[in-house]
Amino acid sequence: MSSVIVVAPIIIANWPVITAAVVAGVGSLGFSVVNIAELESALSENMTREEIEVENSEVLDGSTGTGEQLSVVKDGVKATFTRDTRGALKLCMEGKGKSKAELRQLGETLMGRVTQQYAYHRVVTELKERSMTIVEEGITETESVKIRIRNW
Amino acid sequence: MAQEELEIEIDKFGKVTVKTIGIKGPRCVEVAESFVKALGQEESRELTNEYYEAEQQVRSHIDVKRKH
Repeated sequence: MSSVIVVAPIIIANWPVITAAVVAGVGSLGFSVVNIAELESALSENMTREEIEVENSEVLDGSTGTGEQLSVVKDGVKATFTRDTRGALKLCMEGKGKSKAELRQLGETLMGRVTQQYAYHRVVTELKERSMTIVEEGITETESVKIRIRNW
Repeated sequence: MAQEELEIEIDKFGKVTVKTIGIKGPRCVEVAESFVKALGQEESRELTNEYYEAEQQVRSHIDVKRKH
């Protein structure tokens, strides 16, 4: 081994790239994208709400304008990803019978998976731009994505 | 040619670890750094034996030349 560098990703992307990362990331935790009818049935009174500002993120202003929003649900918990007024990514967690702490913990888990998918997308894009070929790829026991590139 | 490898691990929180394997000297850091720029903010860095190996070889070569 010659060098090891650890990097904390900064999410800088337009809404379609973030949407793709959200769909891929939350799917592994059993959440799924909902349509408006399902969303309304998932909503009810007395929902606890917790908002999570995603540090180190910037949603690039796209041609779609405002109203960029994506909701996913699982077991009565709704997670809504939006672009806030500052242009950062925001996650709003809502769930009945859940404490704010539980919702925050779940939201941070979701954001971790979204960040993992975004980082994977960035890595693969960089490798393609440099004509570097992946020789091995897999998921570890700790749910990390491992990529190996040889003699580029 | 020695086998040169790059190993990239992305954990479930999105943190990325870039390891270079079999690349001697400062070039190993250059290869890893190029990914850091594309991804975000560097949190930590560890240089291991192979990084210093090439530099030691250069110093040994200079010492030999001076003796002549």
